[in-house]
Amino acid sequence: MTGTQRPTVFRSALRVFDLSLGQMLWSRRSVFLGLLVGGPVLLAFAIRAAVALEPRALPRVNGAAVSGGALFGMIIWLLYIRFIVPVLGVFYGTALIADEVDDKTITYLFTRPIPRSAVLLGKYLAYLVCTVLLVLPSVMLVYFFVVPLTGSIGDSFPSLLEDLAMLAVGLAAYGAVFALVGARLKRPLVIGLVYAFGWEPAVLLFPGYLKRLTVGYYLQALVPHAMPNDSAVSILMQAFREVPSLLASLTALAVITAVTLWQAGEAVERREYVLEQ
Amino acid sequence: MTTRTRYFVIASLLVLTVGLGTGLVAYYVGFPMSAFQRAGGPEELRYMPRDAAVVAYADVREVMTSQLRQRVHDAIPTPENGQQEFENQTGINIERDIDRVVACAQAAPDGSGVKGGGMVLARGRFDEVKIESLMRSHGAEAESYKGSRLIETYGPHQHQADHDTKFAVAFMEPGLVAVGTADLVRTAIDIHAGGNLPNATANEDLMTMIRSLDTGNNAWAVGRFDALRQQARLPEQVASQIPPITWFSVASHVNGGIRGIIRAETRDDESANNLRDVVRGFMAMAKLGAGSKPEMQTMLQSLELGGTGKTVALSFAVPVEVLDVISKGKRGH
Repeated sequence: MTGTQRPTVFRSALRVFDLSLGQMLWSRRSVFLGLLVGGPVLLAFAIRAAVALEPRALPRVNGAAVSGGALFGMIIWLLYIRFIVPVLGVFYGTALIADEVDDKTITYLFTRPIPRSAVLLGKYLAYLVCTVLLVLPSVMLVYFFVVPLTGSIGDSFPSLLEDLAMLAVGLAAYGAVFALVGARLKRPLVIGLVYAFGWEPAVLLFPGYLKRLTVGYYLQALVPHAMPNDSAVSILMQAFREVPSLLASLTALAVITAVTLWQAGEAVERREYVLEQ
Repeated sequence: MTTRTRYFVIASLLVLTVGLGTGLVAYYVGFPMSAFQRAGGPEELRYMPRDAAVVAYADVREVMTSQLRQRVHDAIPTPENGQQEFENQTGINIERDIDRVVACAQAAPDGSGVKGGGMVLARGRFDEVKIESLMRSHGAEAESYKGSRLIETYGPHQHQADHDTKFAVAFMEPGLVAVGTADLVRTAIDIHAGGNLPNATANEDLMTMIRSLDTGNNAWAVGRFDALRQQARLPEQVASQIPPITWFSVASHVNGGIRGIIRAETRDDESANNLRDVVRGFMAMAKLGAGSKPEMQTMLQSLELGGTGKTVALSFAVPVEVLDVISKGKRGH
């Protein structure tokens, strides 16, 4: 009897990735994704156009004109780190398996002669490529619109590289955490939103060790810009902010990504998904 | 992968590649900024030496007509000896004749601070004949130097033998007068006549700092911190505690009050973090000390620490009420 060799997890994941990338990019959710990453670009373009028309239109903090570099830093903090990256992680990460369950198409994937965890891994890779290819060009455009307003591209280029790397790492970590939530729990979107916009900001506000159980704690340590004092919450965050070292942050994020992804794979392998009729 | 997905991936990678390539070129070979923006800074910088340690700018007209200046002037009528003395010597009335000034200070050759000389380039309305005749009546000597009229004199408190501090006035172009130490004014004329002699706009570090301040502020100053530190002659114990700062800048908008931002460029990110910690500590102490003084609390609450990478920025707002309190205090004494 001749038997076909079962493909490896990685080869299977690449096949799933190939199928899922297109699905993910051209789904209805992509409209939301487009708005999310297009918003900062439009904002940066509007600022650029306003300053070109009237130089005094440059945004101000306490009446003093903000430099291009500082404005870019504020956009990175307030829009990307605190909002876009966690939101993308929640919406896409939790949907990797949950969408297939809701659409009752998970059976088709699981009946293929591939390891179940390869389905999750392939979809996770598709999520990562999809979000990275949208978020990083968006940051690049914002950078070129905003930084030359009053700053030098060459001078701030190293911090742009740090920003891009940090955002990619953040998307990877949040995606993995929410992939686990999506694979293990019911109503993963609600739980994900509560985690990203309830638990994480709340824990980061207070002194203690709990903040070490968040992705944000390590991710925020990688941001090369000073945290803006935009609200009382930010001031509290700064007051109790501990900044782990670069190595510790990268290690922690790598561990979080690897462990949660492995746990998510295990959950997909073992869990019996009951499709509601 | 479908064709449109492939196009999306290609387009996205193209944006990233072009952006990173442009940034890389800018980082390594100093991308010409004019491709994206104007050279930046007031045009008077073209008359200033490239190695100026400190450069400052003030929109004199805006500052002099600001509500803040009027209120301070009314509250604390200060003797205007210096202003009067300047007018007696040069015939230039600062309030009436000058629109804006750009000043520079050169570091001393021995590195002992900014005592190498100073110059102010004032733009406004000047009666050249009247100014020259007035100065000559005070003993000044006038000559033509490389096509510009140069009037040299000794200040009222200066000695004839003190050649380093000889004071000069030169008319660089219609509506632009240079006033300062004779050597520096001659340098300005040399730069003006020489055409391609290096001037302050060729100092990319300085220009980067100036570009970040030039918009929306009516007074600012930029300088190398080492020159300032040497000038201040800080005790060794204090100097050793200050993180390594390369450049500093102060920019403000003066109107009803003063709103501004102080920036420091440190040698590396770690120094910037240390400096932020130091400033944060001082801010906390000041907030505790403000106690029950609401006007001081308003000012202290306006302090905002920020900055990116090697930059530490502290923005502030001094409302006119705070100045009222200070002036009342002064009058009380």
